Amino acid sequence: MNPIIRWFHKLGSPPYFDRFAARWAPWGYGLGLLVMAWGLYGALFQVPADYQQGDSFRILYIHVPSAWMSMAVFGLMAFYAAIALVWRIKLCEILAMACAPIGAAFTLITLLTGSIWGKPMWGTWWDWDPRLTTELILLFLYLGVIGLYNAIDDRRSAARAAGLLAIVGVALLPVIRWSVVWWNSLHQGQTISIFGESKMDPSMFAPLIWMVIGTKLWFVGALLSRARADNLRRESGKAWVAELAGGRRA
Amino acid sequence: MNYLNYVIAAYAVFVIVLGWDFVSTKLQIRRELRGARLRAAREAARPGRDAELTR
Repeated sequence: MNPIIRWFHKLGSPPYFDRFAARWAPWGYGLGLLVMAWGLYGALFQVPADYQQGDSFRILYIHVPSAWMSMAVFGLMAFYAAIALVWRIKLCEILAMACAPIGAAFTLITLLTGSIWGKPMWGTWWDWDPRLTTELILLFLYLGVIGLYNAIDDRRSAARAAGLLAIVGVALLPVIRWSVVWWNSLHQGQTISIFGESKMDPSMFAPLIWMVIGTKLWFVGALLSRARADNLRRESGKAWVAELAGGRRA
Repeated sequence: MNYLNYVIAAYAVFVIVLGWDFVSTKLQIRRELRGARLRAAREAARPGRDAELTR
């Protein structure tokens, strides 16, 4: 058998996954923290103030990467949920459900930091603008997935029901993405483009890239840790968990 | 730095929410392992099914 395919099969084993997650989650957290610290240093102390927004634009360095994460994590959750529904892979159910609280955290950061930026720039904490409203609906979808998963006793049925909600919810992602194009919006249009030309000055760009990489690395650590916790919860009656619990602590 | 209070508030939100995510996960793992340890201890203390009944 192909060694990569064999490794994937092995990863599906709960004790093997526990060892894998326990080993690599601290690396995700550690590297994420390091890269974000470097990005935040640049964002706060190296880049010049914006000629119109002053220093309030520095909020962008946490708002934009969080907003991207809020959508990317939802897409990933739906992807895992689809695999879990089609092939009944337990690990994918666990990973899909582990995505929900992390994605909800990034969505909450997006909404709160956007609101804090909006007060001095727009003169209001909140507006029922298409971008803001759809992002709020995304938070409700995340909360719905978390709530549904915890409302059903049987873990596998719960994951399937919540996964279905995640798959349906994916339809919201393009609406969030293009809301500033489709409707007249108080929220500014697209400033940063990966493939095209960005409207942001190049001197302000580097810390944003570091923050985008840092939040992704942090997410890897958080995903592995949360999946490990759920894996232990599902396997709590098994001998390997008892052995692990008796041998060492988290 | 102008708008300093807003910048501090936004960065505080970022640190607090990600910090909560980190701590809550660590506590959850610890809780699951503690639960498993207690369950194993209870099962070890329970007499076996084939144990002789005594008056």
